[in-house]
Amino acid sequence: MSISDTHEVHSAILNLYRSRLVPVGGHVTAAVFPFMKIFPADFCLRRARAEQRIDSRSVIIETSSGNMALGLAIVCKLYGFCLTIVSDYACDGFLRRRLEDLGARVEIVPAPAAVGGYQQARLDRLNEIRAESKDYWWLNQYANPANPGSYGSFAAQLVEGVGHIDCLVGTVGSGGSLCGTAGFLRELFPEMTTVAVDTFGSVLFGQAEEPRKIRGMGNSILPVNLDHSAIDEVHWVSAAEAYKATRKLHQQTSLFCGGTSGAAWMVARHWAVKNPRARVVCIFPDDGYRYTETIYNDEYLWNERLWLPELPASPRIVEHPLDAGPGWSCMQWGRRSYVDIVKPAMQAAAVR
Amino acid sequence: MTIPNHNPNVAGESDGIGFRTGKGRSIAQHGELFQGQIEDENHQLRRCLMSLPCKALYAEADFVPDTSGTFVVTPSYKSKVKKAAELTREHLKLPHLGGTIKVESTIPEAKGYGSSTADCIAAARSIADAVGHTWSEEQLAQLVVQAEVASDNFMFSRAVLFAHREGVVLEDYAQHLPKLEVIGVDTSEDSYVDTLEHPPARYSWRQLQSFRTLTGALRRAIRLGDVRLLGRVATASAVINEHFLPKPKFREVLRTVESVGALGVAVAHSGTVMGVLFDPQDQELDRKSEQLGKGLRRLGVSDVRRFQT
Repeated sequence: MSISDTHEVHSAILNLYRSRLVPVGGHVTAAVFPFMKIFPADFCLRRARAEQRIDSRSVIIETSSGNMALGLAIVCKLYGFCLTIVSDYACDGFLRRRLEDLGARVEIVPAPAAVGGYQQARLDRLNEIRAESKDYWWLNQYANPANPGSYGSFAAQLVEGVGHIDCLVGTVGSGGSLCGTAGFLRELFPEMTTVAVDTFGSVLFGQAEEPRKIRGMGNSILPVNLDHSAIDEVHWVSAAEAYKATRKLHQQTSLFCGGTSGAAWMVARHWAVKNPRARVVCIFPDDGYRYTETIYNDEYLWNERLWLPELPASPRIVEHPLDAGPGWSCMQWGRRSYVDIVKPAMQAAAVR
Repeated sequence: MTIPNHNPNVAGESDGIGFRTGKGRSIAQHGELFQGQIEDENHQLRRCLMSLPCKALYAEADFVPDTSGTFVVTPSYKSKVKKAAELTREHLKLPHLGGTIKVESTIPEAKGYGSSTADCIAAARSIADAVGHTWSEEQLAQLVVQAEVASDNFMFSRAVLFAHREGVVLEDYAQHLPKLEVIGVDTSEDSYVDTLEHPPARYSWRQLQSFRTLTGALRRAIRLGDVRLLGRVATASAVINEHFLPKPKFREVLRTVESVGALGVAVAHSGTVMGVLFDPQDQELDRKSEQLGKGLRRLGVSDVRRFQT
């Protein structure tokens, strides 16, 4: 398919994945996406074309274990580009089959790197492949400014639907959605509170790297697109807590979402209770279909020791990222830089 | 067409159309609530703006028709008025129409008040008045763009997002702007901006994305009469456009505006004036405006007028 005769088709397909604003109680509005990552995928490609970094010969390449891969596969099909995805064990059979059905080449790395885990191993393999030909173009979601820059329309939808926004809550993986959306909203509401939701063992907000069960949030490397100075408050939640919250969200509202949505919801709900007059928006990045066998399966949760009888009523408040854990914790990040917080925290930990 | 008789107030006759002297009037603007560029439904980029209407300033035109086929404009340097008159004549299909047009205006020029747009509208209305014709707002917009390349949009009494270099409405909000109380300041009393010599801003892709957020906010602000949100849009637009035409003491004025708790500030995107926005229902309006005055005087910026939209 060539672009010119599918402009309408392209727009129509992207529209399928736009978020809907849903009040979820306690004056929290959720932006419920069936599948958010297709938007930065599309925008990054459009920018690359506009800047003449890619042409009809280009092969798009990216590392992703989930939604970015699928988003890219769809938009590459619509634009007529070839795509190579470098992934790992987290790329389940269903996702892999979908990617390949859409014409993407999928490379699975077999083992984690000694430092940087699977994330680094994927990056290493990606760089190996890129070296094979000049035609590869790496989308680079972690550093490409078009990733956070793609959220202008979403921010527009939020303002148009909600008005003044006092607090934005979202999980962080690449920093694209939260920092991107916050960046646009802060042009109107500079005082808006931005709350980042991370998970234990993620290095994003100063914890030490450890294997993590939850996908789509947290990271083993620090992405350039995470602008720490945009963040007011950080919460860390465990995979078990995120999954419990996701189930509670379903049980209470029927919204069928992925684990990152549950994580964002539990934090947003809590923030709204503590700030009763505020308008809170939280981001739900994907729906639940990829998680029917995991999050929505009590047996799986039990076997993986991810089952919780109940969520904590509120987080533990900590002063340093290294004090966070083992369950839901939070810290006032105060729009400071990573270095400003992590260095003293590491020094304090060394002393202890 | 018959030549009007020596009493200018008596209608002449020709094909049933009466000719007499005509009067036309136009308000002005006090900078813009928004200026930027948006993508239309065909994915084309369109430059656009939304004027902040100012009824406190106006232009008035008096037209005395004749059959000379020539328009004589007073004051004579207002060449756009002559062009507007000629375009009006064309539109009315009266090839022999001529006459004298006297324009009187309270609108300072080259400051961002839209003085030449106002002159053209007043002149066009005065001629139309003389022949018993009424312009639609859309027609006037087209006429002004043809007379002077770019137009402001205060010929529209309702809120619109206006393609100012094309003379067409891009988005029609179908209702009036909510009422604002405005304290106007001139950041540079002795400097002027020639709108047309100043090249159109080349917005970055990131700024274009920001405009999506701002126009989304505009839609809601107008629909719900949310002046607080409208003030935020105006300020955000001013900040983005500041890169392209910096105003003296912009940052300082902005800090003062924020510290007194005003809603925001609308700037002349090709001019030197700024309008500090308040909610007319604000109980503390007088205290805030007094504080603003003090803060501005400390900066050496004078407030030049106060009006309500």
